Amino acid sequence: MKREVTNCLLCNAPLNEMITWKTLLTNAYPKMICQDCENKFELYPQTGDEEVIALYQYNEVMKDYLHLYKFMHDVVLAKVFRDHIHKSLTKKEAIIVPIPMHPVKLKERTFAHVDELLIAANINFEHFLDKITMETQGEKTREERITTPQIFKLKVSTDQVKDQDILLIDDIYTTGTTISHAKNLLLETGANSVTAFTLIRV
Amino acid sequence: MHKKLSKQNDYRNYKGIMIEPQIRDFFIGRIWTRNNTPFPKEKIEKYINSNHLSIRSAITVIQSPNLFKQKFFKCNRCHNENQEEFIQFECARCNELCVYCRHCINMGRMSRCTDLIVWSGPVPNFKHHHELAWEGKFTKAQEQASNELIASINLKRNHLIHAVCGAGKTEILFPAVHFALNKGLRVCVATPRTDVVLELFPRFQKVFPNTILHAYYGGSPKQPGFAQLVIATTHQLFRFEKAFDVVIVDEADAFPYTSDQALQKAVYKVRKNEAPIAFVTATPSLKILSQVKQENWGHSFIPRRYHGYPLPVPRFVSLWSYDKKINKGKLPPKLISWMKTRLEQKAPFLIFFPTIQLMELATPLFQEIDPKIISVHAEDPNRKEKVVKLRNEEIPGLLTTTILERGITIKNVQVAVVGAESKIFTSSALIQISGRVGRNVQFPDGEIVFFHHGITMEMDVAREEILRLNKEGFEKVTV
Ligand SMILES: [Zn+2]
Ligand SMILES: [Zn+2]
Ligand SMILES: [Zn+2]
Repeated sequence: MKREVTNCLLCNAPLNEMITWKTLLTNAYPKMICQDCENKFELYPQTGDEEVIALYQYNEVMKDYLHLYKFMHDVVLAKVFRDHIHKSLTKKEAIIVPIPMHPVKLKERTFAHVDELLIAANINFEHFLDKITMETQGEKTREERITTPQIFKLKVSTDQVKDQDILLIDDIYTTGTTISHAKNLLLETGANSVTAFTLIRV
Repeated sequence: MHKKLSKQNDYRNYKGIMIEPQIRDFFIGRIWTRNNTPFPKEKIEKYINSNHLSIRSAITVIQSPNLFKQKFFKCNRCHNENQEEFIQFECARCNELCVYCRHCINMGRMSRCTDLIVWSGPVPNFKHHHELAWEGKFTKAQEQASNELIASINLKRNHLIHAVCGAGKTEILFPAVHFALNKGLRVCVATPRTDVVLELFPRFQKVFPNTILHAYYGGSPKQPGFAQLVIATTHQLFRFEKAFDVVIVDEADAFPYTSDQALQKAVYKVRKNEAPIAFVTATPSLKILSQVKQENWGHSFIPRRYHGYPLPVPRFVSLWSYDKKINKGKLPPKLISWMKTRLEQKAPFLIFFPTIQLMELATPLFQEIDPKIISVHAEDPNRKEKVVKLRNEEIPGLLTTTILERGITIKNVQVAVVGAESKIFTSSALIQISGRVGRNVQFPDGEIVFFHHGITMEMDVAREEILRLNKEGFEKVTV
């Protein structure tokens, strides 16, 4: 098994990963961060909420991680959680639909951060939605968020959505507005069920 | 107008535009991102169209001529060539397989579709009249080193100043910098540590009252005018290219400079053709010492402190399993009694720890003995204020990580290192830490103790070197 990096992507400490029988047999991805860094991320408690599943809490290290990945544009950090994302999504039967970016924002960032998480984890997905507003939900007050008209439009034909089970993917779940906009649109179009999966939940 | 142009400029096809001095002054010697300048975009495009600014891709891709057509990348900002630090990705801006450099990413990401701009217009002559407002007195050794440095600058050869901690090395630089400025040269004093920039800048400002000088570090403010003298962190050198006629690297033994190839290359890329570089350090690496010999550099050696007293020699004291004890919420008795002695003597103290975690566990334990004891680390926003508190005797002692290993001077300070065997305490770090003690002429001696869980080679090397310097200092120099 070829090692992709020799140093931790987050703290640059040398990675002395032992290739054990377990990693060989389970075919896990090679590590991209060191054990010390890995230990600093905290799992999101499993609440039994089937509507929204989240992997991690939004603690200080996660804040730093998201800043480096999304705002400093360090695309390779998409691979940090690939093993966990892969294990969580590979057996899902629903159609995986990432939350899209507005095309102008996409050009600025140069990569779609949600898509990249899925690509790194080797998960197939489909683009069902287009983002039609440039504003970010976080900048609004609660009132504004609730009254905002739809922020997505359908990218594909109604037939592709009808009677399907859909799993929406986003990087972070804060107020739930983004997910609920997407969910409402897909349910109105005739989807059978819409659930969500996010890397982080605040 | 012609008179003002320097001779080095060949006359290109500049299209006639009125050059705004503030734009020219900003870009001379700099390498900057096209889309992220402090000026309006239309203006920048105008200067590009008229050939006053030229464009270069941030990443150069070299395709090997062999069968495999392997690609090699080079970052044109930080000059990184470590291939593991280049990441290829499908880029939504250039719609191609793009690549970016991770090495300098915290200064804003450089990818293949990022344009860099450099000034290619005419450059005015620099000022020749600079005032040196300094009336201090040199020891013989300082004076000799200062003259040797001037000679090297004049000969355009590199120079090493090897001076013990407390030799007064900043002062040595003043006449040399003055000499260079008066020759119309542009000078950069670079150092790996932001703290050192912040300490040097006001000192140089005071000594060169009619010179425009700028300080550059992460988050430094915008400063007006053309700076003929620049004080910068070595990281900020990534943003310059062929800019300086003299480069001085102060504290050239400090982290991260010593472990970062790209930073070392940056020092060379910011100088104009063959411009001299001077390195100032208390602990020169073997690499630098061999360069001095092989490449015939100038070399000054000051083994003695400016006040003439020898360097305090560290004591080794065992402190077995100190980390386990601290983890269990107990301070080792030897450490407690060391500190109580300092409290009784009312002498300020610094205690160095190998990690933030251990220090943070120990802090409340120290505070049980004296609640005024506080701790400081690299990310602490109040770290300057905390050092001032120790200096003003508002607190009896300060716990610290290696962040305070250099650059700080506190009268009569007593120093202990806890866990001196830890990897982070290299011999040069330990020499620097020992160098905090006995700097003041009224208190030329003091306590420096290495508490350890086993003596390492680095500890031995540090002690041997201090003993050797003391021997040299008293055989060679007579003040
Ligand atoms: Zn790490
Ligand atoms: Zn770079
Ligand atoms: Zn690109």
